[in-house]
Amino acid sequence: MYISSMFKLMFGLQWKEFNRGKAVGGKLVGKIFKWFGIIYFAFMAFLMGIIASSYGGPLAEFPLKEDSVAPFLYVNKQLIYVFAYLIVMRYFIQSLPVLNIKALLLTPLLKTKIVRFSLLKTVLTYFNILPLFFLIPFSFLLAQTGKFDVIGLIFWNINIIGLIYVTNFFNFLLNNKDKLLYTIGGVLALIKALEYYSIVDFTEYSEQFFYLFYSAPYATTTTWLLVFWLYDYVKKYLLGGLHIDTGLQVKIKEAKVDDFSFLDRFGKTATFIKNDLRLLKRSKRARTAVYMGIGFLFYGLIFASQEGTYSELAGDGFASAGSFFGYLFSTGGFLFMFGSFVPSWDSQYYPLMMTQNIEYKEYLNSKWSLMVIGALISTVLASFIYSFFGVNAVYAVLAGAFYNIGVNGYLTLWAGAYTKSPIDLNSSANAFGDKKAFNAKTMLVGIPQILLPVLVYSFTSQYYDHFTGCLAVAALGTLGILLKPIAFNLIMKAYKTEKYSTLKAYKTN
Amino acid sequence: MIKIENLTKKYSKQTVLDILSLEIPSGQTFGLIGNNGAGKTTLFSCLLDLIKPTKGKVINNDVEVSSSEDWKSFTTAFLDETFLIGYLMPEEYFYFIGELRGLSKIQVDNFVLQFEDFFHGEILGGKKYLRDLSKGNQKKVGVIAALIGEPKVIILDEPFANLDPSTQIKLKEIIKDLSRYKDTTVLVSSHDIQDVTEVCDRIVLLEKGKLIKDIKTNKETLKELEAYFKG
Repeated sequence: MYISSMFKLMFGLQWKEFNRGKAVGGKLVGKIFKWFGIIYFAFMAFLMGIIASSYGGPLAEFPLKEDSVAPFLYVNKQLIYVFAYLIVMRYFIQSLPVLNIKALLLTPLLKTKIVRFSLLKTVLTYFNILPLFFLIPFSFLLAQTGKFDVIGLIFWNINIIGLIYVTNFFNFLLNNKDKLLYTIGGVLALIKALEYYSIVDFTEYSEQFFYLFYSAPYATTTTWLLVFWLYDYVKKYLLGGLHIDTGLQVKIKEAKVDDFSFLDRFGKTATFIKNDLRLLKRSKRARTAVYMGIGFLFYGLIFASQEGTYSELAGDGFASAGSFFGYLFSTGGFLFMFGSFVPSWDSQYYPLMMTQNIEYKEYLNSKWSLMVIGALISTVLASFIYSFFGVNAVYAVLAGAFYNIGVNGYLTLWAGAYTKSPIDLNSSANAFGDKKAFNAKTMLVGIPQILLPVLVYSFTSQYYDHFTGCLAVAALGTLGILLKPIAFNLIMKAYKTEKYSTLKAYKTN
Repeated sequence: MIKIENLTKKYSKQTVLDILSLEIPSGQTFGLIGNNGAGKTTLFSCLLDLIKPTKGKVINNDVEVSSSEDWKSFTTAFLDETFLIGYLMPEEYFYFIGELRGLSKIQVDNFVLQFEDFFHGEILGGKKYLRDLSKGNQKKVGVIAALIGEPKVIILDEPFANLDPSTQIKLKEIIKDLSRYKDTTVLVSSHDIQDVTEVCDRIVLLEKGKLIKDIKTNKETLKELEAYFKG
């Protein structure tokens, strides 16, 4: 009785944390995004399970022969990488229940119970459940073919689940041990390199290893023995670290001076740009904006490389509008990713900003300048990348760049005045927990940001040619650059009227 | 001089601040005291235009704070940790504030150097970002940053809380010197009646947003306040 009620109490605490956690902000939209992400990945896993059951790998003949066991062997081959990936993902994303333990230390709960609870609670984390969405349909479809020993398949599954839990508990030991992780990463890179140069093919071993659990089901016991041993080991490990100066201590990185004084010649704008550069460098959450900007550089490739296919399916006009859309994003990635969180980046110290001797104009201009610098760098890189697709692609990239700088920069900043979701810079962005800035105005602003240039391009290029289409979009951008003072006045007004409610929103969250 | 006229702040039906009139002459060290929810922080937030009052206005040296931003050039404040930029090192933070107030790096260095004693060797030249400093050290950084650039008006919310005894004593000296030598108006709030009586020329007692007492500090002040708070 006592134990179960205690468990209920702690479980209740956990549920509240999930629902009221800071990252989710308790807001409906945040929750919807979280659940949407969870369901999306589950669905993708499910789909992959179905696809994999009839896929024999890149070298297999297609369609597979009736009696082929190729899909099963192929999956076994790749499992080594799946588990390596799982370890790395867990390390970066799965947060360990360390912080909450602190508050429980002085309660009349036995330390072993606290540790056991925090360990058992990880049993049901998403990382452990998600693979089931792949495994179940995959195994089920394999079993249906009648070519597989069902008992063997069941034990093969049990073994994989066991290995998933091995990585789960292993993650506790990895926590905050960057060196260990880099070692694992190095070994993996070596394995991949050896495979690539066909010196040693580890996927062969992977296939043999995992196939063993199908052909010799009793071998699964060793995996589960390992799970229980690891559980016990981690339990002892954590028990030894239940002091605020040992296991519960939050690691502090040593601060390093960044000298950006070469920017000083740009006056007050530089004062803020220097800070923003430090922000991008020192906050994990802000760095994601840079990474995503880099990722978006390659966004156009999706369309550019498929242009032929699209033209066949939907006609030339649609295909080129699609790739224009892609190019637009490739130069604007950072601009969007950084800009749509202005002023949220400064949410933690917005009262300071609002009482300093700063004019909104200078503040906004510095943010805008940084966005433009990002867009310019992206443009140079994108022009290089897409030059492989011909000069027409480069025209489109440049037209997109003009539009991003001349129009989208302002629009993103303007919408920012209405985005009032604070950002916790000190926590790293959690893939499912990060609340997107989302409101009606942000949605509406997407129309002139993306739809308008694509439409302008499509129409002009239909009536004239590709080059004129690009020119028309670039002209819109140039107009925007010329109208900067007017645009800035409008944005400033929006920021001023929203000041008090923004301050309030940043405070209450 | 700071003038407050008919200032009220209401949240739905609850009035959290209601001050008919209050004048704070230049060079005064002004103390604000009251229990939780008395409206101290709300008043300071109105002075800094961080909250829009429901009615009334604040005039800071001839500038009405909600309609012009000119007051920002001679007013500084440290209310809480939202006035700190967590990802900066203390020095970088001081330079940032200094640049906004037109001071060069060297000027900031020289200014900050006189508080070396106050920092107790734990702030300057360390290898920590502000977010990783202890609460007390964060407060030290915030308070000293508010002094940069010779402001005419300094607003400090609970400056003595969370500080160790030696630092409290030093900070009191720093605040007294400000009005003694520089004619700076300093507004301080506190929960501790002893602290304000020691530091301030004048003490205003707030209760549920209303001005209850307005005392020119004298020998009897501590007793008077004690008697009031005993109930």
